[in-house]
Amino acid sequence: MAGIRRAFESISRPPEEVRAATLRAWRDSLAGTTPIADLEPRKRFKVAGVIQNIRIDPREGGGSIEATIIDGTGEMIAKWLGRPTMSGITLGTGLIMEGVIGRDEDGELVILNPEYELVSSPEHG
Amino acid sequence: MSRAPAAIKRIFVGRPMSSGELEHTLLPKTIALPVFASDPLSSNAYATQEAMLVLGTAGTASGALGLTIPISIAVACVLAIVVSSYRQTVHAYPSGGGAYRVSAENLGMLPGLLAAAALLGDYVLTVAVSITAGVDAISSAVSSIDDHRVIVAVGFVILVTLANLRGVKESGTLFAIPTYGFVASIYLLLVVGFVKCAGGCPQAESAGDQLKALEPLGFFLILKAFAAGTTALTGVEAIADGTAAFRYPQSKNAATTLSVMGALTISMFLGISWLADHTNVIFHHDAGRTVVAQIGAAIYGEGFLFYLLQVMTAAILILAANTAYQDFPRLSSILANDNFMPRQFRNRGDRLVFSNGVIILATLASILIWAFDAQLNALIQLYLIGVFISFTLSQTGLTRRFRKVKPQGWKVKALRSGFGAIVTGIVLLVIIQTKFIGGAWIILASIPVIMYGMYSVHSHYQDVARQLAHPERRPHDRRPTHQRFVVYVPKVDAATCRAVGYVRSISAAEVTAVTFDPANEAAWERLAPDVPLIQLPRAGFSNTKALRRFLRDKRRELGSDDFLTVVIPEVLQAGGLSEIVRHPRMHRLKASLLSEPGVQVLDIPITKADIHAMTDEVQEPGRNFALVMVASINNAMLQAIEYAETLRPTDLRAVSFGLEPEAVEKLGDDWLTARIPHPLEIEAAPFRDIGSSVLQYVRQFEADGIDRVVTVIIPEFVVPKKRHQILHGQTALIVKRHLLFEPGVVVVSVPYHLD
Repeated sequence: MAGIRRAFESISRPPEEVRAATLRAWRDSLAGTTPIADLEPRKRFKVAGVIQNIRIDPREGGGSIEATIIDGTGEMIAKWLGRPTMSGITLGTGLIMEGVIGRDEDGELVILNPEYELVSSPEHG
Repeated sequence: MSRAPAAIKRIFVGRPMSSGELEHTLLPKTIALPVFASDPLSSNAYATQEAMLVLGTAGTASGALGLTIPISIAVACVLAIVVSSYRQTVHAYPSGGGAYRVSAENLGMLPGLLAAAALLGDYVLTVAVSITAGVDAISSAVSSIDDHRVIVAVGFVILVTLANLRGVKESGTLFAIPTYGFVASIYLLLVVGFVKCAGGCPQAESAGDQLKALEPLGFFLILKAFAAGTTALTGVEAIADGTAAFRYPQSKNAATTLSVMGALTISMFLGISWLADHTNVIFHHDAGRTVVAQIGAAIYGEGFLFYLLQVMTAAILILAANTAYQDFPRLSSILANDNFMPRQFRNRGDRLVFSNGVIILATLASILIWAFDAQLNALIQLYLIGVFISFTLSQTGLTRRFRKVKPQGWKVKALRSGFGAIVTGIVLLVIIQTKFIGGAWIILASIPVIMYGMYSVHSHYQDVARQLAHPERRPHDRRPTHQRFVVYVPKVDAATCRAVGYVRSISAAEVTAVTFDPANEAAWERLAPDVPLIQLPRAGFSNTKALRRFLRDKRRELGSDDFLTVVIPEVLQAGGLSEIVRHPRMHRLKASLLSEPGVQVLDIPITKADIHAMTDEVQEPGRNFALVMVASINNAMLQAIEYAETLRPTDLRAVSFGLEPEAVEKLGDDWLTARIPHPLEIEAAPFRDIGSSVLQYVRQFEADGIDRVVTVIIPEFVVPKKRHQILHGQTALIVKRHLLFEPGVVVVSVPYHLD
């Protein structure tokens, strides 16, 4: 019966809301990670999110790749400098990473060159 | 990936995982069974009945109905052979071995297309047949809906369609309940039935009915009944097709699931046939209730268990229809990937594209239901041909493969699949022979048409790919000196005012204005005395023709590196699509200008609500954000980047929306290797809706049209044959439609003309 209710809800609720709830539940299932909304700059955290946007800039020395991730509570940017290939970074994959949180010029939360691990997410098998 | 960067990256960022390693999203067998097997399991709801219907035409006196059990056994044998053969397919093709792929790979393109066309047709029929059978199950319990069968059936199609448009994934639980519920209900029916029959079977309501002999009981009739019964085999393909969705070891799990599915289907089918025979059900066209319902009523009486059986039957049938909504787009996307179907089917993630596939499927299925008056038996005449064509081809293909690759024990394997191919081939001939007049000819006639269509699409794409493949152009810092603007002035208003401000901010090599109305001259002199206004003669031509002629003459004076942009200012009355209806002439003009070689079309719309008092003065926007829409790296895209460079924007970037995850990595790597000196952003369209994603993205620039503008540059293909245009540029249309009413957004179409 729970399955039917869930199925019904997922049909009737606005997709954005369902998506955010799904992402929160997924993030909750990853032990040791902090929700983006709870991050504080200049401290070390382990965060997880799903890649929503990828920015590739070949102009910055050797190229840079940025991934904007969301977890249903907020969004932040992971930035790798001098990175010549995408190697696994793609839309919808889950990204678990660890590093010191900073803010970029627009005031967005950012992690520079974090260590990361790609995991499956509700949006990409 | 090359080795050195990979090693560096491992130190830096840790071990990357391939999506193949993401095991925990894969389906366990218990969920995979309902997800993939609801179609074959559900056909038990009508397979016995269809065989009995044929036998009944020989009349009750002939004793033909006594053949129900032997015919069912024959069908069960074919099913066992097919399952055994498909077990080999899942081992040979662990990443998914649909009939199209196996045939195309081992037998060649034409057999592959034949399998694909047959399957596409059959998916449509799966929807029509399953929904109709579901309605039968409901009307067996609630007879009052019987008069409105077509409406109820189409209603269910719409319901399933809406659910799929909204995006119901192959949710395991959603499938599990009705599928296991149906299996459990049937087994309960069989057990209770067998127990009761031990002391003399209860008799069905129709027992003792007399049917007149319409046809002689002969070999042909028996074959026909057998062909009708083989409907139990539909959907076996789905498991072989979806092997990649199983948990590891994938092939082994898929093979086990196939066997379980086969065992369930065979036992249920034989059980139902046995009970139908022993409760003496007599079935004919006008029987109010299905065979399963009659058995249920005889065994249970009209109580809770009877209604439960009907509900579960209806539920699994509607679910079975839903599987076609997964299969049709999946096969379409595979075909589109191989360039046999329009590109729009390729990105399954793109909502509009997906919607198109779903709507096409729903429309065709509804037409079939309506044309055949929601009569199951009539629809079934068309069914199965596609299934057996694809069975035969894929088994033949597999045999070929075994003989070529020679894996361990290949002789036995080749024998097994070869035997499968022969048996299904014979069944196919039987089906064609017995159903041809009843409607099978419709399918046989349409398959070559579909194949020809796919072939033409393929050769067109092949041709286009050749023309786009070798980037002759490279963006190399084009400047405004490569840009010439022609402002079209239907009348001098707020939109022309914006247009003048926009073009002035770019300081192009040349700006001219053209009009057909001499009355505009005075107002123009006040608005933009620096820009010459040329009066175009309209005599003898339509405006469009005269404008095109003017542009063509102008174009001739320019070098191949130069751009010539025609600027179209527009005042829009209100939001909504009614605008396009209200100004069909403007719409046609823009479309026509796109086919003028070497001309780009820049659209500056302004809505009434956006016109402020001060817009009477020309104001140059201080910031111009240029976004080039990108899907892959090709000449058309590179030309659009060059174009963007001539605008000398504040910020220039390429953006891509709603790309498949697999394509993202390729585009990113291509971008880095192509050394295009601009950033690329790849944005997810989580709801597979490019239009809204673009809109949301554009809004971050907070364009007001006065000081801040966003210029969206869309590379478009223009093909010489008009009818080919449908194979390209749909995304461009969607994006343009969404951006039309967005304040401060200017849209440029940069056409790339193909020979």
